[in-house]
Amino acid sequence: MPKQKNPFWSFFASVYLTITLLVLTVVLSIVGTFIPQQDAAREFAQGIPPGLASFLLTLQVFDLFHSVWFFLLMLLLSMNLIVCSLNRWPLTWKKFRGTPFANEEGLFRGLSPEHIFLCDEDVGTTTGRLEGLLSRKYGKISKNKEKEDALIIFGERGRYSRFAVYVVHLSLQLLILGALMGAYWGWEGYVNIGEGDTADAIDLKGGKGTKALPFTIRCDKFMVAFYENGAPKTYRSDLTFLKDGKTILQGPLLVNHPVSLEGIRVYQASYGSSPDGRASLAFSRGGKEGEIIKVGPGESFPLPGKEGTVQIVRLEENLMQMGPAVKILVRSGQGEVSFWVFRNIDKIREMNPGVTEQVPMFNPAMFKPYLFVLKGIEERYYTGLQVIRDPGAPLVAAAAVLMMVGLIGTFFSSHRRIWIKIQRLGEKTKISVAARTNKHPVILDREVQHLTEQIKVSLEKGST
Amino acid sequence: MMNTMILSWVTFLYFGAFVFYLFRLVFGKEFWGKAAFYAVLGGLGAHTLGLLLRWKESYALGIGHAPLSNFYESLIFFAWAVVMLYIVVEWRIKNRSLGVFVLPVGFLLMAFASLAPNISDRIQPLVPALQSNWLTSHVVTCFMGYAAFTVAFAIGIMFFLRNISLFRFIPEADVLDELIYQHAVLGFVFLTLGIMTGSVWAHYAWGSYWSWDPKETWSLITWLIYAVMLHARYVRGWKGRRMAVMAIVGFSAVLFTYLGVNYLPGLHSYLQS
Repeated sequence: MPKQKNPFWSFFASVYLTITLLVLTVVLSIVGTFIPQQDAAREFAQGIPPGLASFLLTLQVFDLFHSVWFFLLMLLLSMNLIVCSLNRWPLTWKKFRGTPFANEEGLFRGLSPEHIFLCDEDVGTTTGRLEGLLSRKYGKISKNKEKEDALIIFGERGRYSRFAVYVVHLSLQLLILGALMGAYWGWEGYVNIGEGDTADAIDLKGGKGTKALPFTIRCDKFMVAFYENGAPKTYRSDLTFLKDGKTILQGPLLVNHPVSLEGIRVYQASYGSSPDGRASLAFSRGGKEGEIIKVGPGESFPLPGKEGTVQIVRLEENLMQMGPAVKILVRSGQGEVSFWVFRNIDKIREMNPGVTEQVPMFNPAMFKPYLFVLKGIEERYYTGLQVIRDPGAPLVAAAAVLMMVGLIGTFFSSHRRIWIKIQRLGEKTKISVAARTNKHPVILDREVQHLTEQIKVSLEKGST
Repeated sequence: MMNTMILSWVTFLYFGAFVFYLFRLVFGKEFWGKAAFYAVLGGLGAHTLGLLLRWKESYALGIGHAPLSNFYESLIFFAWAVVMLYIVVEWRIKNRSLGVFVLPVGFLLMAFASLAPNISDRIQPLVPALQSNWLTSHVVTCFMGYAAFTVAFAIGIMFFLRNISLFRFIPEADVLDELIYQHAVLGFVFLTLGIMTGSVWAHYAWGSYWSWDPKETWSLITWLIYAVMLHARYVRGWKGRRMAVMAIVGFSAVLFTYLGVNYLPGLHSYLQS
C-alpha cells in the first residue's frame, strides 16, 4: 500500500512514538505536581525572581495540564493511536475472518511428542471421539477432509478478543474527546447565598466573570452539624430552584449528593456566616424604658420622638477586638451624626476608663437624649455552592465502561485455535494436536496440556 | 482497643514468617518453609479478625464504617491485600521462595502503621466528603492494585537476586518473567478500576471527575508507567530483565502515589491526619 511509504504516516504508525509520548506525558505530569499550579502558583511566583516568573508564565508552566504542551501531547497521542489502529486493522480483520483450514505455516511440523498419539481405532471412531472431546470445551467444531484417510478437526475460542485492544484505544479517544468537550463547552463557578436570599448568577472560576443561570436558586436554610470530636458531620442546604417565579425543584443539598438540573449540577462546597445579619438594637429616651428593634444593614427606622431617623451603616462581628458593634447614622434637623454602638460597652468602659469621652465615636449616648445599646447580632449562615456544567462527562463515563470491557478482553482473553489431525498410519491411527494463539502463550500451553491429558485418558478407556 | 492490639501482634507474625522463609532459602530445609507458611496463615487470620473487629467496634461507637477511611486503616488494608495475594501466588506456583521478598513489605507496612508517632490508630468518624458508597470500592480496588504491583516488584527483586548462590529454590527466569507480567496486568486492571471509581466519587463529591490533584496526577503517572511496560512487552517483546526493571520503577511510582504525595497539598491531604 502506498500509505506505508508516506513519511507522515510512518511517523505516526510507530510504537516508539507511542512510548516516547507516554514518557513525555509522565515527565510533564511529574513537573506539574512539583511546581505549584493555578491558584497555588500565584504565591510561588512571588517568591522567585520576576524575570524567571514571567518566563515560566509564558511557557504556561503554572497551568501545565491546560497548557498548549499538554494539548499537543494529547493530540499527537490521539493521532498516533488512530494511525497505529488503522495500520493494524487489515491484518486483524484477516485473522478474524480467517478460515480455519487456510494452511497455517508449519502447523504440524516439529510438534513435541506429547502432542502426538497413536491408537488402534480406525479414523472414523477416533474422529467421533475427539470431536466430542473438543466440542465440550470449544463449542462448534469444523471438519476438513484432507485425503481419503486423513482429516483435521478444528475448534477455537475468544475470536472476538482480537478486537479488545481496539476497544481500549477507542475508549481513550472518547476520553480525550469528552475531556475536550468539557474544557470548551463546560464551565465551573461558585456562588454564596445567604439564608433567605436568592441568586441567579455565579462567579466563574479563575476570575472569568459571571454567568447567568437559567434558573434562580434560593437558600431556605443552611445547617452544619459536628461530631463529638469536633469534626464536621453534615453540611446541608435546603434549596428551592425557581423558574419564572415558579418552584421547579425543592430539597436538601448534601456533600456527595449534588442536585442535577437542566444539565447543570449544583454542589455543596462551603459555608460561612454572613456579616449582614440583623442587629438587635435597644434604645431609651431620656433614661426612660425604651424598646428593642431588629434592623439589617442599610435599613433605617424613625426615632419615637420624631427627632430624626436612624440608619445602620455597618455591622461588625468583632470591632477592634472589642466584640460586636454596629455603626449607626442619625439624621435629624441638626444634621447627621454617626457613631458606634457596642454590645459590651460596660466592659469596654471598665477596661479603658474614659474611652467614651476621648473617642466620641464610641459613645452610645452621642445623640441626646437617646442611649443606644446593641443587644446582639443574629448570625446568618450563607451556603457556598459550586455550580458546574460539563457536557463531556457522559462521554467520559461511556469511555470508562468501554475501557474496562476492552482491558478485560485484552488481558484475560485470547484467540486460541486448536487443530487435531487424524490420519491412518499403517495399522494405527495417528493423532496430532497443534495450537495457535495471538497472545498469552502460557494460557494456551495450559489448555493444550489439559486437552492432551483428556485425549490420553479417553484413548486408554476406549482401548479397554 | 482490641483491634489495634491484635493488629500490632500480626506485625510480629509476619516478621517471623519472613525469617522462616529466609531460613528455608538459605538452609534449604522445607521444614522452615512449612513453619513460615503457617506463620503467614496465622498472621493473615488474625489480620482479618482485627479488621473485622475494627469494623464492628466502629458500629459500637455509633460511627460505623468499613475500616478504610484514614491513613492507619489504609496501611493495614494494604498489608492485608499484599499478604492475601502472596498466599494465592504461593499456592498457585507451589513455590515458597517469593515469601522472602514479599513478607518484608507486609511486615514494614504493619510496623509503620503501629509504630509511626504521627499516625492515629483511633477509629474516626467520616467527614461529609468521605460519606460515600464509593469510598469502599475506591479504596479496595486501589489497594488490590497496589498489592499486585507490590508482588510484581518483589518478583522483580527476586529476578535480580536469583543467581546468588546462597539462595536456593528460586524459580527459572522464564517463570519469574511470566509472574511479573501477570501481576503487572492484575495491578493495571485494578488501578484502572481504582482511578475510575475515584473519578466517579470525585464527580459526586467535588464536582469534577478529574482535578489534577497531585494524587490523581501521580496515579495517572503510575498508570502510564505500567502502560509503557505492557506495550513494550506486547509490541516490542520486552522480557526478563527489562520487565523486572519496569516492575521496580513502577512500584516506586506506586509508593510515591501512596506516600510521597501526602507531602504535597491537595484534595487527598486529609490522609495527613
